[in-house]
Amino acid sequence: MTTVSRTILTSRKAARRQRRSRLGPLALLSHLALMIWAVLIIVPIMWTFFASVKSEGEIFDHAWAVPETLRWDNFERAWNNFHIGQYMLNSVIVVTISTFGTMLLGSMAAYVLARYPFRGNRAIYLLFVSGLAFPVYLALTPLFFVVQNMGNVPLVGPFIGLNTHLGVALVYIAYSMPFTVFFLAAFFRTLPTAVVEAAMVDGASHTRVFFQIMMPMARPGLVSITIFNVLGQWNQYQIPLVLLQDREKWVLTQGIADIATAAGYDQDWSAMFAALALAILPMLLVYSVFQRQIQAGLTTYALK
Amino acid sequence: MIFNRYRRGLFITSFLAAPVILYVVYVISPYIQAFYIAMTDWRGVSAMPRFIGLDNFERLLDDEKFWLAVTHNGVLLLLLPLITIVIALFFAFLLNVGGGHGGRKGIWGSKFYRVLFFFPQILAVAVVAVLFQQAFRPDASGMVNAPLMALGIKPIGFLSEPAVAFWSVLGVMIWQAVGFYVVLFSAGLASIPRDMFEAAQIDGAGRISLFIRVTLPLLWDTVQVAWIYLGILALDVFAIVWVMTDQHGGPDSSTTVMAAEIYRNAFHYSYFGYASALGVVMFFFTIGFAILALRLSRRERIEYQ
Amino acid sequence: MSDTPHISRRGFLRAAALVPAAGALAACATPAAPPAATSSSAPVATSAANPFGVAADKPLEVWIFDGGFGQDYAKNIHQPLFKTKYANVEIKHNATKEITKVLQPRFAGGNPPEVIDNSGANFIDFGALSQDGQLQDLTPLLDAPSWDDPNTKVRDTIDPSVIEIGTYDGKFSVLGYVNYIHGIWYSQKVFRDNGWQIPKTWDEFIALCETIKKSGKMAPFTYAGKFPQYLYEPLLTMAAKIGGNEVLVNIDNLEDGAWTTEAMKSAATAWAEVGAKYLMEGTTGLDHVQTQTAQNKYKVAMLPSGSWLENEQKTTTPPDFEYGMFPIPDVTGSDKMPYGTLHTQPGENFIVSAKSPHPQAGMEYLRAMLSKKAAGDFSALVRTMTVVKGATEGKDISPGVTSASKAVADAGTNAVYYRWNNWYGPLKDEAIAATGQLMSGGLTPDKYLERIQKKADEIKNDSSIKKYKR
Repeated sequence: MTTVSRTILTSRKAARRQRRSRLGPLALLSHLALMIWAVLIIVPIMWTFFASVKSEGEIFDHAWAVPETLRWDNFERAWNNFHIGQYMLNSVIVVTISTFGTMLLGSMAAYVLARYPFRGNRAIYLLFVSGLAFPVYLALTPLFFVVQNMGNVPLVGPFIGLNTHLGVALVYIAYSMPFTVFFLAAFFRTLPTAVVEAAMVDGASHTRVFFQIMMPMARPGLVSITIFNVLGQWNQYQIPLVLLQDREKWVLTQGIADIATAAGYDQDWSAMFAALALAILPMLLVYSVFQRQIQAGLTTYALK
Repeated sequence: MIFNRYRRGLFITSFLAAPVILYVVYVISPYIQAFYIAMTDWRGVSAMPRFIGLDNFERLLDDEKFWLAVTHNGVLLLLLPLITIVIALFFAFLLNVGGGHGGRKGIWGSKFYRVLFFFPQILAVAVVAVLFQQAFRPDASGMVNAPLMALGIKPIGFLSEPAVAFWSVLGVMIWQAVGFYVVLFSAGLASIPRDMFEAAQIDGAGRISLFIRVTLPLLWDTVQVAWIYLGILALDVFAIVWVMTDQHGGPDSSTTVMAAEIYRNAFHYSYFGYASALGVVMFFFTIGFAILALRLSRRERIEYQ
Repeated sequence: MSDTPHISRRGFLRAAALVPAAGALAACATPAAPPAATSSSAPVATSAANPFGVAADKPLEVWIFDGGFGQDYAKNIHQPLFKTKYANVEIKHNATKEITKVLQPRFAGGNPPEVIDNSGANFIDFGALSQDGQLQDLTPLLDAPSWDDPNTKVRDTIDPSVIEIGTYDGKFSVLGYVNYIHGIWYSQKVFRDNGWQIPKTWDEFIALCETIKKSGKMAPFTYAGKFPQYLYEPLLTMAAKIGGNEVLVNIDNLEDGAWTTEAMKSAATAWAEVGAKYLMEGTTGLDHVQTQTAQNKYKVAMLPSGSWLENEQKTTTPPDFEYGMFPIPDVTGSDKMPYGTLHTQPGENFIVSAKSPHPQAGMEYLRAMLSKKAAGDFSALVRTMTVVKGATEGKDISPGVTSASKAVADAGTNAVYYRWNNWYGPLKDEAIAATGQLMSGGLTPDKYLERIQKKADEIKNDSSIKKYKR
C-alpha cells in the first residue's frame, strides 16, 4: 500500500499499478482457488481431531455432530487398548537407529566413491544407484528369508533376525543407500579440494579429514538427506509389515492400519480417531517448528 | 609413498566394507534370488523350491486381475503426474508471481499457503489412508457424505462403488502430493532472475502469457524431475490401496495395483514363486519407465538448448 | 544445475545390466532349509495322563482370532485348565484380528506357533497350509482318552461332522470348536411389536421386505457390504435347499458347471432382487459390525449372520432386543430340501502347526479345550454352542442361542455346508468380489455365476494347486 502514497511515479510503476487494478477479479479468483485447496487440506485433519473427542454415538449419528462433552478418555483407550504409544515409540527407535546408520554408512560410501578414484569405483557406485530403479516388492519374499537367516547368525542373530527393531533398521539402511549415496556423492564432488589438500599436507589422516573437515562442509547436504531419510523411513509400511509380526514390535504405520481394522470389531471408533489424532499430532508439532528446514530438505534434493 | 598408498587403500576398504556388505546382503541378493524364485512353484515353506522354468510367466499372461492392476498403474502413471503438476504449477505461480507487485511478489498470505499445502506430504501414507477411509464412509458418519445427505443428495460410495473407488485413490494421492510440488516449483521459480518477469511485464504480458512465455519454459527442467518422481510414485503405490480400500484393492479389484497383487499372491495365497514372477514383470515396467523418462528428458534438454 | 545427476541417472540404468554379475555374492543368502519338522530332541514318554508326550517345561504359544468371541475365553478358561496339568509349561498367549497378516510370515519362516485359531475374515488358506505340510495330523487327538474320562475317546465326545469337515488330505487336521449356525437374524421384539411374521416362503420374505420398506420405520435388509462373504453364505444355502446337497458338494469338488446350475441361478436371482430393492442405504460400504450395530439401533430389520452374532454385539444390543434367527425360506414349490434346512458348520478352526517347536503341547491344549468344563464355560461366556456334546447341559443360555438351537433341532439331518472357500483362497476372493457386484447390480445373476465358474475352472486346471475332494 505504500506504493500508493508515493507521489513520484516512474513509468514502470505506473504500468504495474495499471496492471494490478485490471487484474482485480483475477486476483480474487486466485485467492478463491488457494482457499479451496487450503480447506481441502485443513478439513479432513480438523475433522479427525474433532471426531477424536466424540462419543461413539456422535461419530455414528452424524459426521459433523458437535460433541456434547469432550471425551478425553478416547485418548486413554487409544493409548491403553490400541497401544498407539508403543507403536510410536517403536517407530522412533527404528527410525533413530536407521537414520543414524544411513547417514553414517551412506556418507562414508559416498565420500570414498566421490573423491577416491580406484579400480572398481565406478562399478560399486553403479551397484548402489542401480537400486533406485528397483521396485522393493520384487525383493520382499527373499528379503524375508534373508532377515530370517540373519536370526541364525551366532551371537548377534537374536538382535538382527525377524521381529527385531535392529533387523528392520538394517534393512531400512540398506534400502536407503541408493538415494543417499547418489545424492551425497554428487554433493561431495562439488566441495572444494584445497582445504583437504592442505590438511593432508599437515599430516591429517583420511579418516580425520572425512570426519573433521568434509562432514562439516557437507552439512547442508547432510541435513537435507537426513530429513529425507527420516520421513521416508517413518513412512515405511511395506517392509515392517513383512518383517515385524509381534504386536509389541510394530511400528506406527502398521499399528494405525491395524487399529482401523480392530476398531470395527471393538466398536471403538472414537478411540481409533484418538489414535489417528495422536499419530498426526507429533508430525504437526515437528512440522510447525521445522517447516522451513523440512521443505528445503525435501526439495533441494529434487533440484540437484 | 608406498605407505601412503597402503593407508589410502586401507581407508577406502574400511569405509566401503560395511555399506557394501549391508547393501549386497539386504538389497542385491534378494533381487537376484527373486529372479530365481520366479521360476519355481515355491509356496514358501518345505524343502527346496521346484524349478518350473517359465510356467509362472505363462500363467501370468492369463491373469486378468494382474493385468487389471497393470492398467490401474498405467492410468495412475498418466494422470497422477499430469494433474498434480498442473495444480502445483498453478498454485506455485499464484504464490510466487501472481501477486502482481512487479511480477515477482506472491499473492497475499503466500507463505501460509505454502506451509499448509506441504503438510500432507509429511504424514505417513498409512495414516493418510486410514484418515480418508473414515472420511469417505458411505453413510451419515462420513465426513463428505454427511453434508451431502443433509442436502438431500444420495451418499456417494467413495470406496464402495467400483466405478468411484479408483478415483478416490487417485484423489487422495493428489491431495498428498500437490504441496510438495508447489514448494518444489516455488524453489524453481525463485531461481529465475527477477528481470525476466519485469521485462516481460513491461512488454505488456498478462498473467497468463507471463506463465506460458516465461515461467513454464524456465521451469521445464524441474517439471521433468517432478514427472519422474510422480511416475515412480504411481508405479510403486501400495500402502494407500492396501490400507484404504475394501478387500485390499477392491471392491471387485477396482483399485488393485501391481504391488498389491504381488503382496496378495505372496503373503495371502503363499504363491511365492508366482508372486516373484509378478515382481519380475513389475521390475521391467519400472526399468522401462526409467529408460523412457531419461530418453525423453535428454532429448527435451537438447532441443531446449 | 550440475550435470552429475544426469550422468548418474543414465548410469544406474546401465548398472541394471551389471546386477547378474553379483549373483555369486548372493548365494549365501538363499532361503535355508527350514528347521526339521518336529524338533523335539528327546521325545517325552507318553502315558494315559499325557497321551502326546508334552514336555514339562517347554513353552506353548497360542494365537487366538480376536473376533466375535473375543480372546478372554482362551485366557480365562482354556489356559488355566491346561495349566492345572502342566504348571511349568509357559503359555504365550496372543490375539489378533488378522490372522493371515500376522501369522503367514511365521509359517513362511518355518517358526509357526503351536496353536492357532485360524478364523475371521482373514484366515490363512487351509489348502495352502495343508499343501505345505503345515498341519499337524490330529488323529492321535481323536484316539486319545478324553480329558474328563479315561475310558472315553475324544472322538466320541464331539459332533462327528467336525471330523469330516476337519479332514484334509485324509488326515484330520482342523478342529472346528464352535458349532456355527447360519441364518437370517432379526429382533424378536421388533417383529412382535410390528406384527411381522417370520417368512416361510420366499414370496412371503419379499412381501415382508415390501411391508417393512413401506412402513418407513427401518430398512428391510442389509449385510456386511465390505465383506460380501456374508451374503454368498445364504445364497449358497438357498441353492442347496433348492437343488439338494449335491449342489454344494459339486462346487466343493470343482465339478464342471457346478456354479452355473439352475439352483444356483434361482438363488442368485433371488438375492439380486433383494440387492436391487431392499438394502439399507450405504450397505455396500459398511462392515459387519457397522451393519449389525445399525440393526441394534433399529435402522434395519434383517441380516444374514451366524451364531456368534449375539456375543459379538453384546455391548450395543439393547436389553430387550431379543435376537432371533430363521432359516432360508422355501423358494420354489419343489425345493429338494424341506423348510428348516440349515447351514451348520463347525467353525473357530483350531489348528496345531506341524512345524512348531512343541506340537505335542498344542494337541494337549486342544484336548483340554474339548473337556466338558472348558466347553461348558466357553458356551456360557460367549453365548454359543460348541461341538462338544452335552456341554451346555444345565447352563443358562441366551435368547439367540435358544432360537438357533431350536432351529438346529428342527433341521435334524437337513444340514448343509461347504468347504471350497477354505480350500481355494483365490476362488474365495473372486466369489467375494463378484457377490459384492451382484448385490450392487454390477453383475447379472448369469454373469455372476459365469464369472465364479471361470475362476473355479482356472483353479481346476492349474496343476500347481492341490485339489481336495469331499
